[in-house]
Amino acid sequence: MKPAERERLDADVLIVGAGPAGLACALRLAQLIHANREAAATAGLSAENIYVLEKAREIGAHQLSGAILDPRALRELLPEFERTAVAGVSDTPVREDAVYFLTEKRAWKFPITPPPLRNHGNYVVSLNRLAKWLAERVEQAGINLFTQFAGAELIWENEGIAGVITEDKGVDKNGRPKANYTPGYELRARVTVLAEGPRGSLTKTLVRRYGLDGLNPQVYGLGIKELWEVPAGRISPGFVAHTMGWPLGTRIYGGGWIYGLQQNRISLGLVVALEYPDPQFDPHEAFQKFKTHPLVRRLLEGGTLVRYGAKTLPYGGWYSMPRPYVDGGLIIGDSASLLNAQRLKGIHTGMKSGMLAAETIFEALCAGDTSAKALSAFQKKIEQSWIRQELWPVRNFHQAFHGGLWSGLLHSALQMLTGGRGLRDPWRTRPGHEAYQRLDGRGSPPPRFKGDGRLTFDRLTDVYHSGTRHEEDQPCHLIVADPNICVTRCTTEYGNPCEYFCPAAVYEMTEERGERRLKINASNCVHCKTCDIMDPYEIITWVPPEGGGGPNYEGM
Amino acid sequence: MKIAVCVKQVPAKDAPLHIAPDGTWIRETDISFEMNEPDSYALEEALRLKEKHGGEVVAISLGPERAKQTLKEALAKGADRAIHIADEEFYRLDPLAAAQALARALEPERCDLVLTGLQSDDHGFGQTGVLLAELLGLPHATIIMSIEVQDGSLRLKRELEAGWFQWIELPLPALLTIQSGINKVRYATLKGIMAAKKKEIRTIPRTELLPSLAPTQKLERIYVPEKTKKTEFLQGPPKEVAAKLLEKLKHEARVLGSS
Ligand SMILES: Cc1cc2nc3c(=O)[nH]c(=O)nc-3n(C[C@H](O)[C@H](O)[C@H](O)COP(=O)(O)OP(=O)(O)OC[C@H]3O[C@@H](n4cnc5c(N)ncnc54)[C@H](O)[C@@H]3O)c2cc1C
Ligand SMILES: Cc1cc2nc3c(=O)[nH]c(=O)nc-3n(C[C@H](O)[C@H](O)[C@H](O)COP(=O)(O)OP(=O)(O)OC[C@H]3O[C@@H](n4cnc5c(N)ncnc54)[C@H](O)[C@@H]3O)c2cc1C
Ligand code: SF4
Repeated sequence: MKPAERERLDADVLIVGAGPAGLACALRLAQLIHANREAAATAGLSAENIYVLEKAREIGAHQLSGAILDPRALRELLPEFERTAVAGVSDTPVREDAVYFLTEKRAWKFPITPPPLRNHGNYVVSLNRLAKWLAERVEQAGINLFTQFAGAELIWENEGIAGVITEDKGVDKNGRPKANYTPGYELRARVTVLAEGPRGSLTKTLVRRYGLDGLNPQVYGLGIKELWEVPAGRISPGFVAHTMGWPLGTRIYGGGWIYGLQQNRISLGLVVALEYPDPQFDPHEAFQKFKTHPLVRRLLEGGTLVRYGAKTLPYGGWYSMPRPYVDGGLIIGDSASLLNAQRLKGIHTGMKSGMLAAETIFEALCAGDTSAKALSAFQKKIEQSWIRQELWPVRNFHQAFHGGLWSGLLHSALQMLTGGRGLRDPWRTRPGHEAYQRLDGRGSPPPRFKGDGRLTFDRLTDVYHSGTRHEEDQPCHLIVADPNICVTRCTTEYGNPCEYFCPAAVYEMTEERGERRLKINASNCVHCKTCDIMDPYEIITWVPPEGGGGPNYEGM
Repeated sequence: MKIAVCVKQVPAKDAPLHIAPDGTWIRETDISFEMNEPDSYALEEALRLKEKHGGEVVAISLGPERAKQTLKEALAKGADRAIHIADEEFYRLDPLAAAQALARALEPERCDLVLTGLQSDDHGFGQTGVLLAELLGLPHATIIMSIEVQDGSLRLKRELEAGWFQWIELPLPALLTIQSGINKVRYATLKGIMAAKKKEIRTIPRTELLPSLAPTQKLERIYVPEKTKKTEFLQGPPKEVAAKLLEKLKHEARVLGSS
């Protein structure tokens, strides 16, 4: 595609990704323009000229979270919300906390809830709904929200970026234009904000190109979630529980959650750190087993599955934060590693980072300077804000669990006493896939989990409940650089982990006429990005499919 | 040419459906909605006719507040304006009542052509279009696969069963119900989406057009097809099993005569 054929549009600010970070950034920008009309007019700034791109079919469709909302950032953004609109934001306030250590048959309740997991004053929310609610306000403010458009490539300029090219639409699976072919736009902006969430496809190329990596590489967790409706009286709305131990044991970092919602709903899930040693470990199976624990089974039995989904989250924290500014560009939210792994919360920090980015951008545009130097004010703002106060003391938290749960708890207690320093500071990490231990042909593939169809499910049944849909006739959006490795080295060395880590059964090793081959069921993809993170040879690249494709996380 | 397109908002195809407690409709809380598929083809056909022959495309939808989203989509793709017949209880309407409300809103528009989808993905009555034609006093043709306009009349291709087609001619004004696949639907463009914000959506309460709700038919119950398939294993020594099998084939499956 020659750039000359692309239609070009020029924006003041372009935000890629309508999650809590991107939407908070957009709304704060609109507020600043509104409050400083003269300055905005002089700088030629208007809300209509701020664009937000979201690859999902509708706002919120790709939003999946626990989620417990710490309302701190939302209070700063919309001080009135608790008085006027709390019902639009919250499912229920948190009423009761509990933490359990699980063995296969038993549950030990911690006598006191450790402070980081105390949630008094927070709300249980559906991030899908919260995003829709925020988006309404963004649209009312006059900002242009474009769903079903993905940022496919960055436009490079100076030592940074000048916008994005959106994905081409109407291309068939062999890369040929169809009758409704529509080339992607060249969307230029004075400032481009990457708010793509964890493992952003554009963020990844930006960070690599300019070497923006933090001290540590980013490490991730994979969260698998189901929303259930259960018979009345099983759980009270606002009861929130976190679990450690079984079925992950004490060597794999992660844990479960069970949140009681209104109308006999339960949000539950399991987060697993993507740095486990067994390449044939199946996170989806672990989650299914989690539901068979007496503590969980008791709640769910006789109920029905409403939705399923999976998404990654960045665990790396402060030391994995990339430099979040370049010429003409900023990185915010999960893409900038601003999640607090100790509290398993990134909505509030993501939103706050969006607001600080908005303030930085507004100042930069008024001063007519959007260079990296001017935009570096963003990092200073983060450092002076409560984001740093919250993330700095837990800068070594996740790393402490490399030695397992018990030493992790010990180290993190020590870190708490020493302002986060602990015994090692900075505590270094390596990319998660390096934790795999090679199989080298040992052992036969483990049998696949089938589920009983009532309490537990196989992956295809679950994918059906994620509402995932893609245009079938389009190029595969999971690009395997060298499929030869899959059938040769990977099979013997690692036993094809892609068949196990993908929570949507996208990757399948098949045999056709005696020949092994990797089959990619791309239409099932729920956009969790695990494959991009966890393939041992780093040969899988996730790129955005045609806009509108992907899961539909209604109510998640 | 002034063309009206009826677009209905229906539950998205990916939605895992749950039946509402009263058993006569689905629960709408956990699902999202989208434009009825045949209607998106009807809209595309209307836009193409306008591009070829000039005129105006008016999108019209009967439904609750959320139906506006579907109208916005139609405007973003190129419809010129939209009419929203607002009715929070529209799912209780039968096709006749829906057609009556649509007819009253469309009468003053005096359209040259009214397009509807062949049927809706939710109720699938397939009747709203033809009833509307009758109420507007227009000739109609159904299951349309191609439209040509030739000096004031239409040359149409209809889909019949088993790969057969039929060519017919119809005078204008007329109403056509459009079959999916008649064209390749376009994508909304960024400029189209921005332009849509400035286009008019006129809202008329359904009660203004059709004050009383007296359906001529009513949904008694919707339910998931009840499974009747049953697998049984016969066990024992082969001779016994064969005898049992014979019994079953005769008296239960009744595929063998019992004499
Ligand atoms: C299982 C799980 C449980 C969690 N629980 C909690 C919790 O209880 N409390 C809490 O505070 N946080 C929780 N989090 C973390 C929280 O959800 C994230 O920190 C937060 O959503 C980050 O917001 P964001 O806007 O940075 O990114 P996201 O919410 O990931 O949003 C990014 C958006 O950008 C879109 N996008 C990405 N790339 C492109 C592209 N190239 N073009 C167009 N669009 C694109 C995506 O579709 C998505 O909608 C949890 C996360 C997970 C996975
Ligand atoms: C391509 C195609 C695909 C279809 N797919 C489906 C499908 O998947 N599922 C489905 O349910 N339906 C389907 N149908 C519709 C179905 O096959 C029948 O066409 C339809 O139900 C009949 O209703 P009608 O309104 O078209 O009436 P008409 O075809 O006009 O006739 C309806 C009835 O009216 C009566 N009638 C008509 N003329 C006279 C007369 N002169 N004297 C006495 N009685 C008369 C007859 O009882 C006749 O059966 C499809 C139709 C087509 C053409
Ligand atoms: S293909 Fe990759 S991104 Fe898609 S669901 Fe599977 S692991 Fe996640």
